Amino acid sequence: MAYSDKVLDHYSNPRNVGSMDKNSQEVGTGLVGAPECGDVMKLQIKVNPQTQVIEDAKFKTFGCGSAIASSSLATEWVKGKTVEEALQIKNTEIVKELSLPPVKIHCSVLAEDAIRAAIHDWKKKNGSANANAPVPAGSQASH
Amino acid sequence: MANPEAKSGSSLIMPGDATSTCWSCGTMRAEHFCSACGKVQPPVPVDYFTFFGLPRKLSVEVTGLEREFYQLSRKLHPDLYSGAEAREQQWSLEQSSQLNDAYRTLKDPIKRTEYLLRLEGVELEEQSKSATEQARASGQVKKQVVPPDLLEEVFDLNMQLEELRMQKKLGEDDPSLIEEIGRQKLELEEKHEALLEELKRDWTEWDHAVDSGSEEERRKIRDKMVDVLNRRNYLRNLVRDVNEVLESGS
Repeated sequence: MAYSDKVLDHYSNPRNVGSMDKNSQEVGTGLVGAPECGDVMKLQIKVNPQTQVIEDAKFKTFGCGSAIASSSLATEWVKGKTVEEALQIKNTEIVKELSLPPVKIHCSVLAEDAIRAAIHDWKKKNGSANANAPVPAGSQASH
Repeated sequence: MANPEAKSGSSLIMPGDATSTCWSCGTMRAEHFCSACGKVQPPVPVDYFTFFGLPRKLSVEVTGLEREFYQLSRKLHPDLYSGAEAREQQWSLEQSSQLNDAYRTLKDPIKRTEYLLRLEGVELEEQSKSATEQARASGQVKKQVVPPDLLEEVFDLNMQLEELRMQKKLGEDDPSLIEEIGRQKLELEEKHEALLEELKRDWTEWDHAVDSGSEEERRKIRDKMVDVLNRRNYLRNLVRDVNEVLESGS
């Protein structure tokens, strides 16, 4: 299967690979997996406690080129955004940016999951009231 | 009328529906050959269980299946139809390929389970996508389908594998790292085995529920099997990657 140029670029030159101290109060860590393909993705964010701006992001992904590119792009996108802004990132935007084919959409889903998981972890650490907010009535997706 | 060209699960014909007549002699046709005149029949898009005349159960007796496969493949072999009408040649070819697909899927315990789950409407990727959409809408974090400690383990072992790959590239293997990875590999293989045993217990429950269970019970067992297969995918990939690294260039 042919990868798009953007996927190849992120794959051969991934941005923000690495890790941060997961015990730091300012760091949120998300570790997610896609069992369909066995990929695992770790994404970490460092948040400024005053401004709630994500000042740094790191990732490490074990998976295919599309999973690596999706998480690399995700770290680029969350940097400089506030936590609430970062929560608005949708997997479909990643699909579009990287021109992912249908069989690789789950890689973008994984990246969105990783962003959310990292933010959730940060909120939990920092005692945010809505980190464990109940699902609002009526917002549940129908099956 | 079901469209014979359609490939989607919803258009699969149930055994009771495949009651057309033989194209050649006009009597009621059997599954693969006419029971009256013995002519090969056009393939019907049935599921693989139905193709072999089996119920949708998971404890399959593989020696019996194999016997049936060899018998049918001898009778359907395209070479036997070289002198027959063109459409018979075509049908024998199509039925042979259907037979091969069905056999390959049903003889393998994992493929068989995955196939049955698909027939039962389980769409892993769809479910994962809709769970993400739900998490986005509600501001909740999505529940991971595999236990977090398994994810941690997978991640950590992958880190070690990466280190070993790097070392091998530089030509300086660290024996203690190799030993450590080898030890974890044994553990993984044990877990992998244990999962297969767990799956087999689920099969028994499933087969029982097919006969006498409620829809609710069947759904529960389906979910359990999905869970086992999810965990298994990680272990399978890990064992594969570990072997690849341990065997490379040393």
